[in-house]
Amino acid sequence: MTDRKPVYLMTPALAWLTAFMVVPCLLILALAFFRRGIYGGIVYEFTLSNIALVFDPLYARIFLKSAGIAGLAATIAVVIGYAAAYAIASMPRKRQPILLFFAVLPFWSNYLVRTYAWIVLLNREGLIVSLARAVGFEGELPQMLYTETAVVIGLVYNYLPFVILACYAPLSRLNPEIHEASRDLGASEWTTFRRVTLPMTVPGIATGFVFVFVLSIGNFVTPALLGGGQFQMIGNLIYDQFLTANDWPFGAALSMFLIAIMMGLLTLQTFASEKASGQQRAEVCDD
Amino acid sequence: MTSTLLSLANIEKRFGELRAVNGVSLDIRENEFFALLGASGSGKTTLLRMLAGFDMPSSGHILLDGHDISQVPPNHRPVNLMFQSYALFPHMTVAQNIAYGLEMEKLPRTEINERVDEMLSTIQLTHLAERKPEQLSGGQRQRVALGRALVKRPRLLLLDEPLGALDKKLRGEMQLELKHIQNKFGITFIVVTHDQEEALVMADRIAILKDGELLQCGSPHEIYEYPVNRFAADFIGVMNFLPARVDAGALCTANGSRISASLPADLKPGDNALAAVRPERLRLGAADADNCLNGRISAMAYHGLDLHLHLETPVSPHPLMVRLTADVAEGHPFAVGEEVSVGWSARDTRVFTA
Repeated sequence: MTDRKPVYLMTPALAWLTAFMVVPCLLILALAFFRRGIYGGIVYEFTLSNIALVFDPLYARIFLKSAGIAGLAATIAVVIGYAAAYAIASMPRKRQPILLFFAVLPFWSNYLVRTYAWIVLLNREGLIVSLARAVGFEGELPQMLYTETAVVIGLVYNYLPFVILACYAPLSRLNPEIHEASRDLGASEWTTFRRVTLPMTVPGIATGFVFVFVLSIGNFVTPALLGGGQFQMIGNLIYDQFLTANDWPFGAALSMFLIAIMMGLLTLQTFASEKASGQQRAEVCDD
Repeated sequence: MTSTLLSLANIEKRFGELRAVNGVSLDIRENEFFALLGASGSGKTTLLRMLAGFDMPSSGHILLDGHDISQVPPNHRPVNLMFQSYALFPHMTVAQNIAYGLEMEKLPRTEINERVDEMLSTIQLTHLAERKPEQLSGGQRQRVALGRALVKRPRLLLLDEPLGALDKKLRGEMQLELKHIQNKFGITFIVVTHDQEEALVMADRIAILKDGELLQCGSPHEIYEYPVNRFAADFIGVMNFLPARVDAGALCTANGSRISASLPADLKPGDNALAAVRPERLRLGAADADNCLNGRISAMAYHGLDLHLHLETPVSPHPLMVRLTADVAEGHPFAVGEEVSVGWSARDTRVFTA
């Protein structure tokens, strides 16, 4: 008997992605190799100058800065998210779905609304300042809104549910007897965590980190609202090229570079987690 | 007689309303191969978890070498457990799995390496030292799990259904292998199993648990030949039960035939009782035996080295199982429906309260 897989069921999804994702991306890619007209617009004349400009120290610095902020946000999100996922996975099985539901709840509200909420919290007359005053803090409080810190806070807050879900998956699949085996062989709780639980859940950490990093590095809403235009991340730079500077070819070149970074990271992460889940599959299947 | 290593004194474990273990007292000797035998829900696993330190008894004491270890956490007990799932660390190689417990003792690296190498050769896995658990067969993983626990040289090694995941043939080999290893290392083994055959083959002594209570404790021979009650008799091996009444120093079946046996003191004339006899104690056509029954063959099962006959008898609603060894069965062309008579001696008859 031939094993006919219903491949045709993928057609709508493939068609959609091709028409609205692959083709536009290819168009952008193509734009990067043309010259900008003197008054904006595109002159169809091949050039590599846009690509070269991406590596100009001025723009390279913005790339590095964005990567730094995304990396910091991803690191903080992973630390907080892993701890939360660990706590949830340690709860009685029955209670875990409801806790996960609460952890993911903010996700169902509008991204902009959530980010505006942080403006309310962080501004000069905001909740945090009022609270500090209420408990009797008299001194000068540092500026919180429109700083890098505010952007990092906003990114961590927005993407934390991703990390919790990504870390929860491998943590909840751990065989509790492996933890007990480590204790039985003489390890303390901390050593057990460090040498057994943590290494076995690295795929979840990697997934969470890459997610937050990729979503953060290209983000332009949070830097615009919480960074107040004080500094630019790569997302804002691209936004400006297309909508303000009217330099579509350079915007396209920046976009391609950003997409390349994201694709590279996601590919690495996919391979890593594929390998890890392959291991777990082997464990389950073999006699 | 060797000295007592482990003493369980009136151990009780409650989970809410449920009494998983109820007043178990046991002494286990140095170098003993001990089996905790019971069906699922008998409390044997709970008892094992308390010995390993994963659960604390609700009341009672666990004494190891005279010290109360009931409240000592698992990493501070000279006790190791071989898990039913083996619970090998999937991210470590075979050698790393075995070294883990020694690293926790903060031993010098050279000693760790020496002991790991020694253990690898004992469990015959030296050539697979750098493999990950996922690359091993079931039998090999089982040996890694055993080696990982043994290399710590515990005072007491606990084994939770150690052969449960292996196929039948390998299980037979490993039963003897485990006995051999236990002998070689001189470590006390406690095996938890639901498999009575496994317990009979491996253990020096067996404790039967039922509903959280200790039913009987003794050598395999005692357990098999002198079960304390009907449940124990039924649980171990195959037993024929014949309902009867006590009547003037003997038993009287429903159709009036008498069964001679030595009666327990607590049975009075007129009481209902069960006479019990193992299938292999029944002999064909033994007219001179103390007890004799006629029956009709209702089914036959050929097992190679023996032949099982099911006899319909007037005394019991259940067929009587007769086990004939190949040499006896040879030359008897038995047929279903044939009338035969079987006999057995009073010595081989046990009597239980019904």
